[in-house]
Amino acid sequence: MTTLATPQSIRRPLRAPAVRKERASQLPWALVLLALVVAAGFYLVRAGGSPKFAFIWAIGIALGLTLQRARFCFTASMRDPVLTGSTSLTKAVVVGLAVGTVGFSAIQLAAYLKTGQLADAMKLAGLEPVGMHTVVGGFLFGLGAVIAGGCASGTLMRMGEGFLQQWLVIPFFILGSAIGAVTWPIWKAAFHVQPKGGVYVPMALGGFAPALVLQFGLLLAVYLLADWWGRRSARRAR
Amino acid sequence: MAEKTLDCLGEACPVPLIRTQRALSELAVGDLLIVQIDHSCAMKNIPEWANKTGHNFEIQEVDDGQWEIAIERGH
Amino acid sequence: MPLASEEAVAHDVRPIAAPDIANDNDRARWRDHETYKALFVNPWTYMTGAVVLALLNIALVAATGKGWGVTTSLAYWGAWIWQAVGGDPHQWAYFAEVKPAFNAPGFNLLKDAGSLTNLGMVVGALLAALAASQFRVKRIKSRRQVAAAVLGGLVMGLGARMAFGCNIGDLFTGLPSMSLHGWVFMVSIFLGAAAGSKLLVKYFI
Repeated sequence: MTTLATPQSIRRPLRAPAVRKERASQLPWALVLLALVVAAGFYLVRAGGSPKFAFIWAIGIALGLTLQRARFCFTASMRDPVLTGSTSLTKAVVVGLAVGTVGFSAIQLAAYLKTGQLADAMKLAGLEPVGMHTVVGGFLFGLGAVIAGGCASGTLMRMGEGFLQQWLVIPFFILGSAIGAVTWPIWKAAFHVQPKGGVYVPMALGGFAPALVLQFGLLLAVYLLADWWGRRSARRAR
Repeated sequence: MAEKTLDCLGEACPVPLIRTQRALSELAVGDLLIVQIDHSCAMKNIPEWANKTGHNFEIQEVDDGQWEIAIERGH
Repeated sequence: MPLASEEAVAHDVRPIAAPDIANDNDRARWRDHETYKALFVNPWTYMTGAVVLALLNIALVAATGKGWGVTTSLAYWGAWIWQAVGGDPHQWAYFAEVKPAFNAPGFNLLKDAGSLTNLGMVVGALLAALAASQFRVKRIKSRRQVAAAVLGGLVMGLGARMAFGCNIGDLFTGLPSMSLHGWVFMVSIFLGAAAGSKLLVKYFI
C-alpha cells in the first residue's frame, strides 16, 4: 500500500487537471449499510444459534471489500498473460496460493499431529474428486469467465459495484449450476467420475514434507515463469 | 498534437484496455488519447499497460466511480 | 527501463489534486484525509489483496473447518428456486451422491457458509465502493453484453459443477489445501481462459 515516487511527478502535465464533479459524499450510505451489516450479523446469530454464523458473514463482507479495494480479478490473472502480456495479477494469485498453503498446511499438520492419522488432516483439506471432468469443467469455467467479464468471485464483487451486466450473469450462473447438477448422471458416466476420488497429496506422497516441498517448488516455478513472461512482454512492447 | 476521446463507459473488463490499445495504435506519436472509464479494474490495468509499453499517462477521477486516463503516444 | 514492479507506477494513481477548494465542507475533509484515502479510496496493491484474501480464507478454515467456496451454494440456490416453483430437487441424484448435506433434515440456506459468504461479498464490495464514493450503476450497453452475460454465466455454472468448484473453491481453496484437483483445475482454467480470450476478441468486443 505504500506509494512510490513516479517519473510522472517530475514531468509536465499532459492536460489541465479536471476538477472532480461536485457530488455529495457516499460515505453516509456506507455507514448506513455498515449498520445494516452489523444488524444482519446479530440476526444470523439468533437464527442460526451460534456466533459462528456472524463470523462467516463478517468474513464474506471482508472478502468482498478486499476484492473491490484491490481490484482483484482472478479472471484477469488467467486471461491477461495471453491477452495483454501482463502477469502482475497472476503473480499476486500465486503469492495468495502460497500464503494459503502455509496457513492450511499448519492447520492440517496440527490435526495430524494430534491423532497421528493423515486422514484427520485430510478432512480439513478442500478435497474434491479429480479426473477428466476437472479438466473439461475447468476449461469451460475459464472460457465462460473471460466471456462474462468475471469469474465466480468477480461476478459477486461487480454486482456490489453496480455492474448490471453481472446482475444478469448470476441468474444464468445459477441456471448453469442447476443444469450441471441435474445432468450429473450423464457426465458422471461420460467422465467416469469417482465422487470419493479426491487425491490428497500428503497422503499420496507419504508425508507432509515431500508434499510441501513439491507444492512450494511448483508455486515458485509458476511465479518465476509468470515474472519472466511479464518482463518479456514488456520488453517486446516497448 | 491531436487529441482523441474514447468512451468506454459501461464496458466490461477487458474491453476498455483492448479498445485503448487499438485506438492508441491508430494515433500518431505525440497524440493524446483520453479514455473515459467507469470500471475499477480498468483504472488499474490501463495505466499499468501504458506504463509498461512506455507511454506517459495521467489518471484523474472525474466523478463517482468514473475516471479519465490521458495517454500520450510515446513511440 | 527497469521498473520496481509492473504495477508499482500504476498503483500510485491519485487524482491530480484539484485546486484545493477553500471550503469547510465536511465532505472535502473526509475525502482528503491521507490515511482515509490510502485505506478506502486509492486502490490497494494486488499483492496486498492476495495476502489478505488468503488470510481470510485461513481464518475461515480455522473457525469452520471448511474453506471459501462460491459455486456449490449457487447450485443450492438453483435447487431452492426449483423448489419454490414446485419442483423437487431432493430427487436429483447429484445431491444424494455428491452433496448429501443438502438432503439432511436441518439444511437451511441461512446456515450455509457458502451462501453467507456469497451474499457478504456482494455487500462488502458495495460497502467498499460507497466508502470511496466510487459507487456507480453501470447499465448494460449492448446486446453483445447480454449475450456475453448469458453465455458466460451458463458455461461457468456448468463448468463449475463438473470441476466440483470454481476459481475459489478449486483454485484458491483446493490448491493450497494440497488437493490434486486444485492443480489440475489451475492448468485447465488457464487454457480455458486463453480460448475464451480468443473468442472474446473475435465476437464480443
